[in-house]
Amino acid sequence: MGSSFRAFLNSPVGPKTTHFWGPVANWGFVAAGLADMKKPPEMISGNMTAVMCVYSALFMRFAWMVKPRNYLLLACHASNEAVQLCQLSRWAKGNGY
Amino acid sequence: MAASKLQALWNHPAGPKTIHFWAPTFKWGISIANIADFAKPPEKISYPQQIAVTATGVIWSRYSTVITPKNWNLFSVNLAMAATGMYQLSRKLRHDYSSEAAVAKE
Repeated sequence: MGSSFRAFLNSPVGPKTTHFWGPVANWGFVAAGLADMKKPPEMISGNMTAVMCVYSALFMRFAWMVKPRNYLLLACHASNEAVQLCQLSRWAKGNGY
Repeated sequence: MAASKLQALWNHPAGPKTIHFWAPTFKWGISIANIADFAKPPEKISYPQQIAVTATGVIWSRYSTVITPKNWNLFSVNLAMAATGMYQLSRKLRHDYSSEAAVAKE
């Protein structure tokens, strides 16, 4: 149990590396999206939400293909994709689509 | 000569046939969307979203200069994100705090 944690700490995409903290920052988009689910649809930016949907789709692929493979980044963008698609549908319904 | 240079770029492992090119390139869309939203009223700006954009921009700008090789394309796109995010935050903060002052005066 302790040794697998230590393995994570020392991994090439672990918290001692830049490959870790960048993706952590990207979880901010997921947190922001979740917080904004409570807001009325008029407050959603259609521009930004649509861009986020494409952006996270592309970066899911990027995270898979990059060396070393970055599962944290993949998880982050998969989550963001879900949240942003949800927000996009709320925006669309609110705008009569 | 130019043709072979172009071919080299075209076939580059991080070139336009790969995700390593398109994902960072598309990231400019976030800053472009933000610039389009400069025209929107500050009431519609989302604090959580713009904080996320700014924080991501700042952190990734730093990291793109410490990875090997340094990635100036990644640096510039994240710098733009940080800048547009900070501007949107300042718009909303100014709106929220100057209205409070106006209400307080009444």
